Amino acid sequence: MRSAITRRRFLKTSTAVLAGTSVSLGRAPAFAQKRELTFLTSNHFVPASDDELRRQAEIFAKQAGVTVRVDTIAFPQLFAKRAAQVASQSGHDLIITGAADPFLYEQHLVDMGDLVDYLGGRYGGWYAFAKDTCQTASGWRAVPWYWVAFPGCYNEVHFKKAGLQPPKSWDELLKAGKILKKQGNPVGIPISHCTDANISFWSILWCNGGKVLEADGTTPAINSDKAAQVIEWYKELYRDAMEPEVLSWDNASNNRFLLSGKGSWIHNAISPYVAAVVKKMPIADEINHHNSPGGPAGIHSSTGVNSLAIWKFSKNVALAKDFIKFLFQKENYNSFIVGGSAFNQPPLKHFAEHPIWASNPKYAMLPKEAEYVHEQGWPAKPNAAVQLIIVNFVLPDIVAKAINGMPTKRALAWGEDQIKLALQGKLKTEGKS
Amino acid sequence: MAVSQRALEATGLPRLGRLARVREWWEQEHVFGYSLIVPALALILGLVAYPFGMAIYFSLSDYWVGSPGQFIGLQNFRDILGNEIFRQTVYNSFVFSLIAVVLKTVLGVWLAMLLFRNFKFKRLIRGAVLLPWVIPTALSVLAWGWMFDSLYSVVNWTGIHLGLISPPGPNWLGMTSYAMTAVIAVNVWRGLPFFAIIVLAGLVSIPREYYEAAEVDGANSWGRFRHVTLPLLKPVLAVVVLFSTIFTFSDFNIVQVLTRGGPVNTTHLFATLAYQIGLTGGNLGQGAAVSLFLFPMLAAIVFLQLRYIRRD
Repeated sequence: MRSAITRRRFLKTSTAVLAGTSVSLGRAPAFAQKRELTFLTSNHFVPASDDELRRQAEIFAKQAGVTVRVDTIAFPQLFAKRAAQVASQSGHDLIITGAADPFLYEQHLVDMGDLVDYLGGRYGGWYAFAKDTCQTASGWRAVPWYWVAFPGCYNEVHFKKAGLQPPKSWDELLKAGKILKKQGNPVGIPISHCTDANISFWSILWCNGGKVLEADGTTPAINSDKAAQVIEWYKELYRDAMEPEVLSWDNASNNRFLLSGKGSWIHNAISPYVAAVVKKMPIADEINHHNSPGGPAGIHSSTGVNSLAIWKFSKNVALAKDFIKFLFQKENYNSFIVGGSAFNQPPLKHFAEHPIWASNPKYAMLPKEAEYVHEQGWPAKPNAAVQLIIVNFVLPDIVAKAINGMPTKRALAWGEDQIKLALQGKLKTEGKS
Repeated sequence: MAVSQRALEATGLPRLGRLARVREWWEQEHVFGYSLIVPALALILGLVAYPFGMAIYFSLSDYWVGSPGQFIGLQNFRDILGNEIFRQTVYNSFVFSLIAVVLKTVLGVWLAMLLFRNFKFKRLIRGAVLLPWVIPTALSVLAWGWMFDSLYSVVNWTGIHLGLISPPGPNWLGMTSYAMTAVIAVNVWRGLPFFAIIVLAGLVSIPREYYEAAEVDGANSWGRFRHVTLPLLKPVLAVVVLFSTIFTFSDFNIVQVLTRGGPVNTTHLFATLAYQIGLTGGNLGQGAAVSLFLFPMLAAIVFLQLRYIRRD
């Protein structure tokens, strides 16, 4: 039987379909198009924050007579997405950056100095960490957007039962942790391949007067007596105040640990409390926060600062800058703080006076954290080597090696070797560093 | 058959139109044949050859995500060979792949022989066996992550309640040997159906007469397996082991979701370390060098196995 579809007819039809599809998928004629601003950011831990961002984007779009597209993707996907955009010199206009990104992509990002000056002058000035995280040797390559406080999160009931006050220093935490573990409520700091493990290590090291790199960003400084003391402190905390599970934790594990009712203290963002409130978990009443502990060298707290940057290849640079200005308008930024359930900490001093901090005593201490905050890498800038030290989890691995039996000095020497390897990078920078 | 233009002119027949001439040219065998190959060739060049060439170029340069690099020869390879984390990764990859492939082979043949039997709901169960292979890896590994979770481990809970392990149970993803056991177990769980179904297809193709003849000769079940099943399965097994070795060596999702290379880099594989250094760390040159290390090793394995298959 002869087939109804001949080869020739198939080719004709498929060519027609392909041609039709390409026309329909192609861009509409220019006269029918509105100018479009595109923004790539990561999924927020508090989804309502993304909803608020989209709401504001719509208002801006109406006012400016343009369309604004906000694309949110999972945080781990950002790295590949940004790398692909910069390689192809096409993609979104505006992107979220953080840590070393403004330094890694320095050559491809628009100078934001004018916008930083404008916003700083209007809203009470930037906190000191803003410079550390967004100002490269060639200028401001990003505008700090919001940062995430990393205070002590603790279970008030467990502390009260043990007759303890929240710790003001890391040594007090060790003493309290020993009692709390005996009570059946250990404390927890991850010593594993996760972001939180890095953040806590930097904070503890700084408070004890140690550093990973000298301020020049090229000289390793990890192999010091101060760092050795920190490792010894970690070993004691692990043995007497924590459970071995901290060696396997991911970023969500410490949240679960506190929310399970077993854990008494973690070093973390306020996410466990926010999650408990959203899910109406009874344990929300028991969780409270206190400022990140200090040490002999004062209080220093590591954080993640999220910033906004514009690709040089963008055709909407002025529009993107207007959009950033709009996001920082007082009523908009205040709504953004509320949308993020106090998770979005402002880098500009005036916004720290937002009523949300006073509305809940559990948030009251959060704005003060800004005074202690540094970006990872400090006193060095978060350069390419810092990025490699962070993503290779060199710092928690030094601790893990020591805990697994390697002598402290050898573990630090191993860490120093890894830092030297990270420093071998030959990333070019625009300005003089 | 298309009639050529010159032939038409010679016979005084009217000239063909432009469309007809194009059609005539198009329908020549060498034009039409090669045209059909072009899409596949473009795909291979665009999606395999080009990225591979770029990876080689990256590995020989100090290319960072935001900064095109200069040619630095084999410096990246020297750097990673001098790095203890990379050497640990090479060791991990061999331990992981060797144990996982051996387990998948043994258990795969065993499972295939079970599935070969006649039993109730045979088709349903054969289909269900494929599930671990069909479910997106990232999704199923998340579930495994929960099962090995330090606080809520289902594996530990079950073991403790059955009296098999003493509380609190192993710290699956926090201790070196347990973490490697965990990632191998998940890889075997995921790859087993692929083995079992391919081996099952091989079993079905073995003529029953061989078994009957072996039985007449007095062979017991082990003898039949040893002297009939196994020799006739050899070609199928060789191919499936070849594929599995490639998949296992280049595994990424399981380690990335379960351990992110931890504890202390003892579960890092080539793909996860390359991703860590190249994409999240931004050092694309070194990341490419790590991933390219996989290439000569896999090429050697493929070469040896293909030679073995051909010899048979």
